[in-house]
Amino acid sequence: MIDAFMVIAYVMVIGIAIGAVAALLQKDLLRAAFLSGAESIALAFLFQALLAPDLGLTQAIVATVLMPGIIIIGIFKTRRHEEE
Amino acid sequence: MNESISNLWSIPLFIIIPILAAILLNVLYSRKRAISVTAAVSSLALIVVSVLSPFGFHWFTGQPAVLPTGGYTYRADLLGWNLALEYYYGPLQQIAIFLASVLLLFVVLIAINSLKKNTGTYISLLFLTFMSAAIVIMVNDFYHLWIGVEIGSLIVAGVVLATGEAVSQKAALKYTFFSALSGAGLAIALALILGVTGYANISDAIIAMPLNDASLASVLYVAFGFTVLSWIYAGGLAPIHPLKADVYGSAFPHATILLQTQSKLMLVAIGLVILRLFGTLPFAKEVMLSVSVLTMMIGVVMAMLQTDFRWTLAYLIVSHSGLVTLGISLGTVQGIIGGLFQAVNDVVYMSVLLLACEGIYYFGRGTSIKTVSGIAKRAPWLAVAAIIGAFAASGVPPFNGFQSEIILIQASLNYGMPELAIVVLMVSVTTFIALFKGIYNIFLRPDDAPQAGEKQGMPVPRMLYVCLAALIFITILFGVYPQLAINFLNEAALKVVYIPWVP
Amino acid sequence: MIELNLQFLSFMAAAVLVVIGLGGMLFLDNLIKKIIAFTLLSDGVNLALVTLGYVEGGIVSILEPGTSGAAFPTNAVLIFGPGIVLTNIVIGVSTTAVLVAVTMVLYQRYGTLKASKVLKGERK
Repeated sequence: MIDAFMVIAYVMVIGIAIGAVAALLQKDLLRAAFLSGAESIALAFLFQALLAPDLGLTQAIVATVLMPGIIIIGIFKTRRHEEE
Repeated sequence: MNESISNLWSIPLFIIIPILAAILLNVLYSRKRAISVTAAVSSLALIVVSVLSPFGFHWFTGQPAVLPTGGYTYRADLLGWNLALEYYYGPLQQIAIFLASVLLLFVVLIAINSLKKNTGTYISLLFLTFMSAAIVIMVNDFYHLWIGVEIGSLIVAGVVLATGEAVSQKAALKYTFFSALSGAGLAIALALILGVTGYANISDAIIAMPLNDASLASVLYVAFGFTVLSWIYAGGLAPIHPLKADVYGSAFPHATILLQTQSKLMLVAIGLVILRLFGTLPFAKEVMLSVSVLTMMIGVVMAMLQTDFRWTLAYLIVSHSGLVTLGISLGTVQGIIGGLFQAVNDVVYMSVLLLACEGIYYFGRGTSIKTVSGIAKRAPWLAVAAIIGAFAASGVPPFNGFQSEIILIQASLNYGMPELAIVVLMVSVTTFIALFKGIYNIFLRPDDAPQAGEKQGMPVPRMLYVCLAALIFITILFGVYPQLAINFLNEAALKVVYIPWVP
Repeated sequence: MIELNLQFLSFMAAAVLVVIGLGGMLFLDNLIKKIIAFTLLSDGVNLALVTLGYVEGGIVSILEPGTSGAAFPTNAVLIFGPGIVLTNIVIGVSTTAVLVAVTMVLYQRYGTLKASKVLKGERK
């Protein structure tokens, strides 16, 4: 039985996997930070689907603001592109 | 066995006083006078609370079981055994926290003199180090155990970074990266135990542990493995000892006193938890024993190879952690008493050596045995203190190291493994050689290149000598009257062996 | 045939995250990439912990006025997993902050983000 709820969960699971792989394959560190943030937001939706709405909210805040913010500060203070 | 049913007043103070002091010191930032007053008063308050406090419990949620008569009990066979997030303050906790807070006072008083700027931030980190150690030694539930280990490892990184040397920054980076693995492992172990037993409290979990259910055995093994991983990480045991040895070696010597106190308390606390929960699993004690033997051997061998007194001490601390875990993982009453007593003694005599190292740090340029020499002529009392510390560390009779090592040797003989006794003897002999290589070169070797003005360095603060005298007094006290310490440790050892579900 | 229910899928996603995170932390050379891999690893552990407590067809473990008290203990998802994860998210953020700070300091010292160059250093 596949309903709309399950479809969202499928999409989120696939999004998590793709986001995680894509984040680590980027040469541009800024893009990698944003992609890992996207992966974390998909994780927040999955938390919602797994009946943990409080965690979903926390994860959404952390994923959109804090984690990418901290990493982006780090990137601006160091360098944006991975050296060869 | 009725005990006080209300929450103990003193247990929150061990957490609140360091946190408040840390916040206040952070705000004070670099006003030296206010910082020294605040820090000294807070650590004195911790000492006073640890001495005055009665023994008892503190619950955050949950409650003790209610008897039909209306009283409260801790008997495990009654239904309604529903303790949840819980701290326990007993004799073991009392001596451990008392020693840790005395050392905190000494370290804080020395640290105020040694750092030029950001003093407040640094000393607040020292207070938080004490707090994480106090959490881990008092705790009786997985949740706070895990939080204590995680917070502790983050704070260690901060304390190490304070030296500002490249080597300490690298050590902090590596240590923090690995904390991700061990923290995640401990969280998963916690979740597995919760899933198997349904309780976060360790006492409840031990009673509900399905040891006879073969289908759950693999889950228990995975949980055991992850707990041992975090034990190894928090205590700096063998396979990943370079992480912790780098941390010890690259922090300020006085900060290393608190770092090693923290990791010894974590070793004792997590080791006892592993023994209580998984002690009946086959191979559990063998795994722990092999880890500790490996730690002792590697630690002393690496200590022999070092040419810097700080790094010699760092690896010796690692190898003596192996002595502590040897006693705990034997699992007999005598062995556990030996392990706990060794932890107490280790903290004291390594502090003597580290304070002597701090003195060398003030006098010479660095602590390398190649560049520094002839300190004994300029600071004879420092040399005396270092030699006393070395005697205590290598188990020479009038000092405290002897008393705990003899208990460990007897325990391993009674356990039926004389090999372990030989390893303990080897560790103490090698400790002696490694330490005297450093002490001879630094203190006794004649000063080959006397550059009078340049090599003079700072004068040693008088506070250092006072702290050294106090610690040497404790060393000799425990060496002459070991019962003073063992009386505190007996109860914990008996409980772990015979009634493991009681904290 | 394995049933592709939500719990199984979430475990798979958690496994993917943990494997990718571990691999990234071990094999990638860039320090910022290592930190991103660490966030992936901690996300994976969080997902595994939440999934452990999931009950198929259960309800959120918040006792609302309309919920029947009798059905709640059997139907609600286990609360301990989420309780741990809430702390783990916060600890993950602070660990990331510490790692980024150390990385910035090391970059100022060495001028590179390559872990093989930064961490190579010899001890005195």
